Amino acid sequence: MSDLNTLVPPSLNEAALTYTIVVRCGADQQSQALSAFRFTQQVLSQGHRVLRVFFYQQGVHWSSGFRVMPQDELNITALWQQLSLDYGIELGVCIAAALQSGIVDPQESIRYELGGENLASQFMLVGLGQLAAASVESDRLVSFGG
Amino acid sequence: MSCLITLSHAPYGSQDAKEALDVALVLAAFEQQPALLFIDEGILQLLPNSQSPSSHKHIGKIISALEMYEINELWVEQESLDYFGIMVDELSQPVKVINRAQVSQLCAQYHQHLVF
Repeated sequence: MSDLNTLVPPSLNEAALTYTIVVRCGADQQSQALSAFRFTQQVLSQGHRVLRVFFYQQGVHWSSGFRVMPQDELNITALWQQLSLDYGIELGVCIAAALQSGIVDPQESIRYELGGENLASQFMLVGLGQLAAASVESDRLVSFGG
Repeated sequence: MSCLITLSHAPYGSQDAKEALDVALVLAAFEQQPALLFIDEGILQLLPNSQSPSSHKHIGKIISALEMYEINELWVEQESLDYFGIMVDELSQPVKVINRAQVSQLCAQYHQHLVF
């Protein structure tokens, strides 16, 4: 009996591919953003490897720890955080785009004397080079948004 | 890993053009020179002598730096040129012209394709 929801351990998937996911859709594009999350979740549950999820352009807004959702709506930031914990995947956020959008980690907060920080846990500010490096090593580069 | 980047945004008005070109330059810095395909308003990035609004980086300067980064494969869609009434020899860079019907074949030649 096959069950679509059965998790296949990575070692059992001989055709495993390496993916890089790019999230470029912003906080006002929930459907696309949710598609990005669900796609990544499925890729992982089918035993493929996700080298890095890279948040760029408007996508950096998902890494804000200060997003508060109405009670009956999904908190996509929290979904990414849990996925990162479950599978140990890296959530990289373009540092230039994040700073322009007012998203900072403790280090940048000190550097620019901002008096506060809001990068959500599990997310990491990285350079655009991390997208290039991941794309070089990946079999598939899948981008959402734009 | 060969990469094609499609640029469809006007040079100014949003950060899209700049952020797409940033990805191209970073890939080149990793010695992964991407090919660039300019379509729709994206072809306006190739107009010479444009002046940037004070709130934006000068896109023309980034475009003229592509050669230094050894990004030499630039494609422009004929239908987009026609739409704006621009002749190919009016553009700031040497480009190859492609018809809309051929775009899918072009995409198929690359391992990866990023659309901005």
